Amino acid sequence: MKEKKLLLKNATIYSPDKNGTVQKSTTKPSDIRIENGIISDINENLSASKEEEIIDLKGLTVLPGFIDLHAHLRDFDQEDIEDFGTGARTAAAGGFTTVVAMANTSPVRDNINALKDTLERIRQVSCIDILPVAAVTKGLAGEELTNMVELAENGAIAFSDDGVPIMNMGVFRRALSYLALTKKFIISHADDKHLTGRGVMNESPQATRLGLPCTPSASEAVAVAREIEVLRLQGGHLHFTHISAAPSIALIKKGRKEGLHITTDVTPHHLTLKDEDVVPYDANFKMNPPLRSTRDQETLLEAIVDGTIDAIATDHAPWTALYKIRPFEECSVGIIGFETAFALMYERLVLSKLISFERLIELFTSGPAKILNIDDKQVAIGKPANLAIVDLDAKWTYDVNKSSSKSRNSPFHGRKLFGRNVMTIFKGQIVFQNSDDLAKV
Amino acid sequence: MKAAANLSEDKSTSKLPWSGRRHIIDTKDVTWSELEFLFAIAQRYKKAGPEALPLPQQFVGKGVANVFYESSTRTRSSFEFAGKVLRLNVVNIDSKVSSVNKGESVEDTGRNLAAMGFKIIIQRHSAAGACDLLVNAIGDKTCIINAGEGASAHPTQAMLDIMTMLTYRKDLKGAKVAIIGDINHSRVARSNLWLLKMLGAEVHFAGPPTLMPSFLPSLGAHVHMRPEEAIRDADFVMVLRLQLERQQSGLIPSIEEYQRVFRINHERLKLAKPEVKVLHPQPMNRDIEITYNLADDPQYSLMDEQVSNGFALRMAILHTLLTQI
Repeated sequence: MKEKKLLLKNATIYSPDKNGTVQKSTTKPSDIRIENGIISDINENLSASKEEEIIDLKGLTVLPGFIDLHAHLRDFDQEDIEDFGTGARTAAAGGFTTVVAMANTSPVRDNINALKDTLERIRQVSCIDILPVAAVTKGLAGEELTNMVELAENGAIAFSDDGVPIMNMGVFRRALSYLALTKKFIISHADDKHLTGRGVMNESPQATRLGLPCTPSASEAVAVAREIEVLRLQGGHLHFTHISAAPSIALIKKGRKEGLHITTDVTPHHLTLKDEDVVPYDANFKMNPPLRSTRDQETLLEAIVDGTIDAIATDHAPWTALYKIRPFEECSVGIIGFETAFALMYERLVLSKLISFERLIELFTSGPAKILNIDDKQVAIGKPANLAIVDLDAKWTYDVNKSSSKSRNSPFHGRKLFGRNVMTIFKGQIVFQNSDDLAKV
Repeated sequence: MKAAANLSEDKSTSKLPWSGRRHIIDTKDVTWSELEFLFAIAQRYKKAGPEALPLPQQFVGKGVANVFYESSTRTRSSFEFAGKVLRLNVVNIDSKVSSVNKGESVEDTGRNLAAMGFKIIIQRHSAAGACDLLVNAIGDKTCIINAGEGASAHPTQAMLDIMTMLTYRKDLKGAKVAIIGDINHSRVARSNLWLLKMLGAEVHFAGPPTLMPSFLPSLGAHVHMRPEEAIRDADFVMVLRLQLERQQSGLIPSIEEYQRVFRINHERLKLAKPEVKVLHPQPMNRDIEITYNLADDPQYSLMDEQVSNGFALRMAILHTLLTQI
């Protein structure tokens, strides 16, 4: 394919600086020239050359492509649910150009062949960067460590047993200890499986009303507490993903204050929905961790404001009707999230004046980049042209039936949203374009 | 019985038309006028049998499917017998010997039954919300009756319990109802709670703390540690079945311990009002949650009456859904 040259006109640009602090880059709208996948120039009134495609971005905002620290992209035995191609296209529609893919696939990504197969599939079908996570333990069994050095040297970005958390703290300690050889980190889905039991909903009046087995917020906090103590003992970097409960935040805050290397992300759904919002027996409201109480949500929001939370992550977890149209207790867990993440957070955090727009963009770009130790995320000359272009004035309604995902499991179908990603550019190529929205440009 | 006799006058059913509800899934939003309507018909059936209100000719022979994904004796046989005496064609689908066993979904089973023209599907399932799936799939073609699912709802059981209680009181306003046992796993307790609250009764739960859901007080119920507190001055005591597997899963230390603290006997019943009545949805574990003698004591036990009321009520429900929708 012939390399396309792009000239983006009249763009308002926000970008992180070297320290990750996002600022408006230029006082006046500027033009961005992209050649060979790289930003070659940024200036006012650049003149176009003949072979350049010109796109007028008047009124739109250019941001670094978003980074998602937590997604399930299925593929292989579960390619009927999602594959790296559809997952990447869905992510691109949401403005993401880098997605961290969890290891609990089928087969499990716990060995070098599975990792190589993953990287090959990604190379063949993905339109963005997908960074695979490898399992901490073989078969996610929580017993024997995987070949972490081999996996890390061959492209595993981090290690996680995600949905099947390690219960044996001896194994957890060995994992953190051994990981020192790799400079990688553990992504922890903190959950005490004994406290959780068969629970499918937060312990709450709504769960009692609906007669559903429930799980207390303590099942997360208990796991956070003991994993922090093992981190204190062993050292290393521990990332708590999709934190949902108020007591977990208190523990994480304390651990960070004490100088432990703890990072954390939260999901858009935990910041916008609560246990009382669960539509009775609707599988699109079943996720793990479950939707929590008002108090939990308020604590998460405070933690965003005070900087305890480093990133927004979607936990994009596609399931087709076959897995979801079942009784609540029996259906699969999780929702898709790429396409709604930015708009939900723009409304919840920025339009509500909880944080600045700049801070929001940090949560989607430099925040996760710092955790992943990747640093080419600025919109700047010489950097890869990985961009999300958003229309902050857009008012739209999410129609899950138009999703690029193979799955349709979203509780946000039909929701009115504010602010929208209208174009995504990856290495200089337009990988997503919302024609309705750009038509007016 | 006087109030019931009055309701059984012919004019009562025409004065109180059915609400138009197609499905009986839960008791959360059931109204007194709906109950009153069903109870009036049920009392007529109870008194005079199916000839008291025969099914109009155009409905005779219509199909009713009993789809039971979980075992049941009373509910299933009373729906089946109720359908048969009304001259309906009742088909029983047993999950153990049907395609359900081959992994066919609730929805697909329902869709097939609707395609065969069944007018009513009665479903029992181990998971909450299974009837909602059926309503979403075929609710426009078929009436769905929840015959008990998960720990969420067993509406016809709660209705027959209320019908039975109303035989002994004019109304339930201010009545104290104690419900004793494994509340957390009980669909009967939940379905009764909503109806009893709607009728103005006070609901007092007691059971092992490990089998008591959180947040019941915020839903308008009283929760006690010991059964004595719940039973004190009660008008009705409802005893729930203790699933014996609760001990294996570690939720109670032993059956003996349960008997010691929670078994309802004549001694504990002395705390209640002298005219107290005892209900049990059955099946019961004699001598575990209720003593052998109390279960059979005609002065207190309403268990047989619950079953005969349940049969009459299910006739009333089938008649109503077929003729009034």
